Amino acid sequence: MTALAKLTSVELKLLVREPGAMFALLIPLFILVVFGSSIEPGDTVLLPMSLAIAVGLVGLYLMPTTLATYRERGILRRLSTTPVRPGSMLVVQLILQLVLVVVACGLLLTVAGTVLGARLPGAALPVVVTFLLGTAAMFAVGLLIAALAPNGRAANGIGVLLYFPMAFLAGLMQPADQMPVILASIGRYTPLGAFRQALQDVWAGGSPSLLLWGVLAAYAVILSAAAARLFRWE
Amino acid sequence: MAVIEVSNLTKKYADLTVLDGVSFSVEDGEIFGILGPNGTGKTTTVECVEGLRRPDAGSIRVLGLDPVKDGRALREQIGVQLQHTQLPENLKVWEALDLYASFYAEPRDWRELLEEWGLADKRNARFGKLSGGQKQRLFIALALVGNPRVAFLDELTTGLDPQARRTTWELIKRVRASGVTVVLVSHFMDEVEELCDRVAVFDRGSVVAIDTPAGLIEGIDAEHQMRFTVMTENVADLAGLFDGVPGVSGVSRTGNRVVVSGRGDFATAVTARLARHHVLVSDLRIDKRTLDDAFLALTGRSFTPDN
Repeated sequence: MTALAKLTSVELKLLVREPGAMFALLIPLFILVVFGSSIEPGDTVLLPMSLAIAVGLVGLYLMPTTLATYRERGILRRLSTTPVRPGSMLVVQLILQLVLVVVACGLLLTVAGTVLGARLPGAALPVVVTFLLGTAAMFAVGLLIAALAPNGRAANGIGVLLYFPMAFLAGLMQPADQMPVILASIGRYTPLGAFRQALQDVWAGGSPSLLLWGVLAAYAVILSAAAARLFRWE
Repeated sequence: MAVIEVSNLTKKYADLTVLDGVSFSVEDGEIFGILGPNGTGKTTTVECVEGLRRPDAGSIRVLGLDPVKDGRALREQIGVQLQHTQLPENLKVWEALDLYASFYAEPRDWRELLEEWGLADKRNARFGKLSGGQKQRLFIALALVGNPRVAFLDELTTGLDPQARRTTWELIKRVRASGVTVVLVSHFMDEVEELCDRVAVFDRGSVVAIDTPAGLIEGIDAEHQMRFTVMTENVADLAGLFDGVPGVSGVSRTGNRVVVSGRGDFATAVTARLARHHVLVSDLRIDKRTLDDAFLALTGRSFTPDN
């Protein structure tokens, strides 16, 4: 097996052994099921919310904690003494966290579509594009946290500290139309808020908002560029 | 043949000069020690040689390669055990070895390493559950799994109990016997004395001496003592007995217990003088000079490892 394939399989095993990964799968599912009992058939709000929560948990919490811990423990540094570049570890981690996000969202879609009778969108392409842009934006925030946090615990703390205000502003704790107008409009342009709103728009069958796509793409590009500049291997 | 050649290595961080013209070479198949207290540039030097850091000036050749320009080719042929590195808590011992073996073109069979380093019964244990000694042995095994020509071991036995240190030393001798050149960074005098063929002594970012451990000790000209008990009754002028013995600088006497101080090989001359005057002595002891004394003599300060 090549080094990269071996690294991927070992990191996959570690991800499965990591309790945090289980939380990222189960918390959104729990929210979906608890609130799902009271939704109307054909609901277009709850499922996009749960998906945004799942992506947010992985991007803000799991990924930065993992990367910052690897740097803190000298794992990236140790790798750089071998023929394998430490950048490979970053690539493998990004791929696996993306796989985790896809699995979490697949689980939500399956449960919501079958048991709860929530609406599944008809046009796949706008949904997929929105999902990818939103995930890229959330991962970019996570990479920036990983770049700035001195160690794993700090990354974890920053992730949690950012997650709650972001989830609040994004309308993940209560519907955005029940929030003060000013907060709702700010929230609309936060990474998680833009993601939730864009997802909800296309979920209901509306045409995607190019403005929100642009906002998500801008977050993804600017924040990951900043992360790349600030990231330190040790 | 020199496998490592370092000349005039200089490294500064802001205004702080960490390395100031470090030069040494390491011969094929030897255990080369890099000795000095913490903060004297040992680790920085080794990290420049490994290609982890770029020196500000000076040249480095390892196996004929430049660590910065030919990094990829070099990393195939060296094995590194770093200070202060960990593995993921949930990684199993065999998985770590299997993973690191996959990084190299011609790795060793990691199952052999498991046996050699006494980790066979910990094969399925997770890294987080290992004892300090077991972790350390795993790191050394990981440094060797790529079948390197040069192994760099930084603070090899830190955190090991005396028994485990002895065992590790024996294993390192076997590594040398298998033809691997070993660069050993250490602040333990006994370890360096036991293992190293040659040693570079570091002090304040410079190499102050390079020699065999025995050569370093021989080379110092510090005063030391020999002690003995006089058995012969009625020796009239005991202190006067040693007048004119080369190297002797002082004699003190408490009852029949005598301490003679001196420099160089004065002890041989003292025993010869005693024999000529038919003075019988017992309990003869010569204070052994150690690398600590050599360090003190070279740097003018005592060796305090943990400051």
